[in-house]
Amino acid sequence: MPSGQNYDAIVIGAGVVGACCAHYLAEAGLCVGVVDRGSVAAGTTGAGEGNILVSDKEPGAELDLALLSQRLWTELIDVIGSACELEAKGGIAVGYDPSTFEHLQQFAAKQRDSGVIATEVTGGDLLALEPHLNPEVAGAIYYPQDMQTQPMLAAAHLIARGVRVGRITLHTNTDVVGIRQGDGGAVTGVETARETLWAPIVVNAAGTWGGQIAAMAGVEVPILPRRGFILVTEPLPTTVHRKVYSAQYVANVASDEASLQTAAVVEGTESGTILIGASRERVGFDRTRDWSIVSTLAAQALQLFPVLEKVALMRTYGGFRPYCPDHMPVIGPDARVPGLLHACGHEGAGVGLAAATGHVIAQSVMGQTTSIDLQPFAAERFGALHV
Amino acid sequence: MTELAAECDVLVIGAGAAGLSAAYEAAADGNRVVVIDANARPGGQYHRRGVKDPPYFPAGTTDAQRWANIATYMGWQAYAADLDGDLVVVRLRGDERHRNDLHAVSTRVLVVATGAVDRQLAIPGWQRPGVMAGGGAQSLIKGSGVLPGRRTLVTGTGPFLLAVTAAIVQAGGEVAAVIEANQPRRLIRHAAQLMPTGLMKSGEALKFAAILARHRIPYLTGHRVTEIHGAEDDAAVASAVVHRVDEQWRPIEGSARTFEVDCVTLGFGFTAQLDLLMQLDCEAVQSADGGLAVCVDDNQMTSVPRVLAAGETTGVGGVDLAAVEGRIAGIQACHLLRTDGQRTQPDSKVMTGLYRRRGHLRRFAKALALSFPTPTAWVAEQTGDTMVCRCEEVSLTTVLEARDDLGATDARAIKLLTRAGMGWCQGRMCSYTVEGLCPGPTSVASQKAAANRPIGVPIPLGAVAKQGRA
Amino acid sequence: MSDPLCTVVIDGRPVQVSPGMSVAAAMMSTGLRAWRTTRHGQAPRGLFCGIGACFDCLVMLNGEPNVRACLVTVEPGDAITTQGGATND
Repeated sequence: MPSGQNYDAIVIGAGVVGACCAHYLAEAGLCVGVVDRGSVAAGTTGAGEGNILVSDKEPGAELDLALLSQRLWTELIDVIGSACELEAKGGIAVGYDPSTFEHLQQFAAKQRDSGVIATEVTGGDLLALEPHLNPEVAGAIYYPQDMQTQPMLAAAHLIARGVRVGRITLHTNTDVVGIRQGDGGAVTGVETARETLWAPIVVNAAGTWGGQIAAMAGVEVPILPRRGFILVTEPLPTTVHRKVYSAQYVANVASDEASLQTAAVVEGTESGTILIGASRERVGFDRTRDWSIVSTLAAQALQLFPVLEKVALMRTYGGFRPYCPDHMPVIGPDARVPGLLHACGHEGAGVGLAAATGHVIAQSVMGQTTSIDLQPFAAERFGALHV
Repeated sequence: MTELAAECDVLVIGAGAAGLSAAYEAAADGNRVVVIDANARPGGQYHRRGVKDPPYFPAGTTDAQRWANIATYMGWQAYAADLDGDLVVVRLRGDERHRNDLHAVSTRVLVVATGAVDRQLAIPGWQRPGVMAGGGAQSLIKGSGVLPGRRTLVTGTGPFLLAVTAAIVQAGGEVAAVIEANQPRRLIRHAAQLMPTGLMKSGEALKFAAILARHRIPYLTGHRVTEIHGAEDDAAVASAVVHRVDEQWRPIEGSARTFEVDCVTLGFGFTAQLDLLMQLDCEAVQSADGGLAVCVDDNQMTSVPRVLAAGETTGVGGVDLAAVEGRIAGIQACHLLRTDGQRTQPDSKVMTGLYRRRGHLRRFAKALALSFPTPTAWVAEQTGDTMVCRCEEVSLTTVLEARDDLGATDARAIKLLTRAGMGWCQGRMCSYTVEGLCPGPTSVASQKAAANRPIGVPIPLGAVAKQGRA
Repeated sequence: MSDPLCTVVIDGRPVQVSPGMSVAAAMMSTGLRAWRTTRHGQAPRGLFCGIGACFDCLVMLNGEPNVRACLVTVEPGDAITTQGGATND
């Protein structure tokens, strides 16, 4: 017997996606090792807003995954309790002028066919939902299924629970330096800077670094960083009740533009601060700050909520969304490497899609039919594409 | 407020001993020098002046022509610094009455002399009204002539406790006792390094000794304040418990004594204010006192071109060292601004003298830091409801749960999971405590992450939004 | 010779203070030790770091909330109001 620890499955990445994968694998009865190069939730999970959204997704495989995930998140609250600050606050997509509002209405109509609850709200009804919203906007779509969580707490508590019941072992500050492969390339474990961890199943939930992990197993998964900044205000009494964003946000999420895009996304948090996003740009792993982004985000937030004019900006934080060229995550077994599964490339939707991702990964590992067809998320879909 | 220049040759942040010394030297060639400072009057923490006091000028800076080249803007606070080609852009916010006034200054050379704040450790009851940072109490007296309390217990570690005590009694206040957590025998271990400069400074020590004797103030070494009490939950300070402690500052059972006081000052050394330097991604190291300090070369240049640092930002060392470093930084700023044809080496005799003096003072500062260390292992052993983060009101229990049950292995993860350090002060008060609670020795990377504040002072969203349109 | 004093209003009460002192010092000179309560514990806070770093001494000054009392000098006629919770609306 080789030295090192043995697991039924190893999950690489202790972010929210890795935590959900580990959770569902543990629930299925497996002994799971979770390995992260840093602390729990220290990557993109720790730099996000905690969105669990159905509202920003077009009908298709990703929306189906989001709807499943939204249901699973409400179940997870029973598992980890209120610690993760899960809030079914609902989202509001705002159209400033009649034409963008009309565009939103058409988008919502298509979403409804897929099972999304979307209600048109205008005038007094809209202000009743969001009292401080700019009263001059043409109208909005209200999405009651949208939720928010504190993703770092959610990830940490899911893993901690598995550790408590003896199903999960957490290896933090542990760099994965290689994937062990045996006959026919099947994975047998992971090589860390310290030791070898053995398992016939390895789940790549490494987020932005998912491409590098895949490469260690000799396969290509094209995952690139898309930088984003979030502004954080001083703590306030509840001023913004829901997740409120402008119509432009939906267009930007799906955009292929490399250059900077910003669209106001404003939401309150349980701690009283208000988070203002969202910028998207493809600049590699460059953390250099650009003050024009800060100014633009502030201006766009004030257009939605003029009441924030005097509210102080306290800090900013930034991170890198892991994205694939077609903006779809990579989820499921890699046909090229037996025992290797991917759960990465969720871009800005990792928190929202995490629960369903973990669920289907566990189903797949246990040989069950997955709740969602994983074909659209297969790693091989990129074919011979080279990064 | 006064109209500020949009560009200058040398921008100095901080009008204390280091900053003003740097500004004076930097103005030698007729360079346009701008000094900005968040306070109402120049002087920094050490030379803080009241409204009726004569204004502060560093010793020997008597050339009026030089001062004529220096524009000093008080009440402005720098909240961000970024590189822009060959220039450094520093963003400023007006004072507390003019928070919407934002301004950017582009400078060819930046000198950061932003000083330090008292380093704190969480102790049961430290959030009660009447508990103050030692430096804060001193500032209140020097700047406004108001005492922090009727009867004060001065606690913490380091010679600064004596300066606080002197300030209080000279203003007519009462000091119940000075509680020094370290043992003076540590001083003896580092006597060799302390000697040359120590002799020079012995006059100051004798002055403090005389004050303690005259006012019959007990000086308890190897003692630490362990609990601060009030009449009820959250009430202001009414008493403080002091224990004899071992070398790791763990209280020795049965040694408790209580002091009836309405004010307790706390101070465990100082933390350099590195916001701007971390925004610029300057290299930093851990200095002898365990705190983060920016790396500088012989001429006070940081790892980022045209960005210089002087004073406590390069390692906490006191006002004399700050002034010398400021002078060297100012001379270097002039040197950098000379075009190649005009470039002459600074007077080598002057420089040799400055370097030698700086060397002495740095060795002295290091020996002092080693004589008055601040261990932190005891912090985790306190009562669970001890408030670690004052802003977000995060308890010790919560932080330890994040560490022990939730997989947080560093200060950043603790912050993300508990909100300790996410509040108004952005971790300035609790980061040393949180770092001390993390497993293993504190890494420079972790300290840099904690000191990385993208916005140094809150700025109104409306003003930020307008800035983009300008 | 005594210094000319100036009048400020603290929570509706006119008070004589020395010009040039900080708002925090002015309040402490009248015996106040706390002038803000925290958002979660509603615990009282006053002057702590004294040099603008800790934000414990936040106060409402002439209708503007969250002013650091240690960093601002009193001016005649200032209306200084204690504040509670996250901020004052």
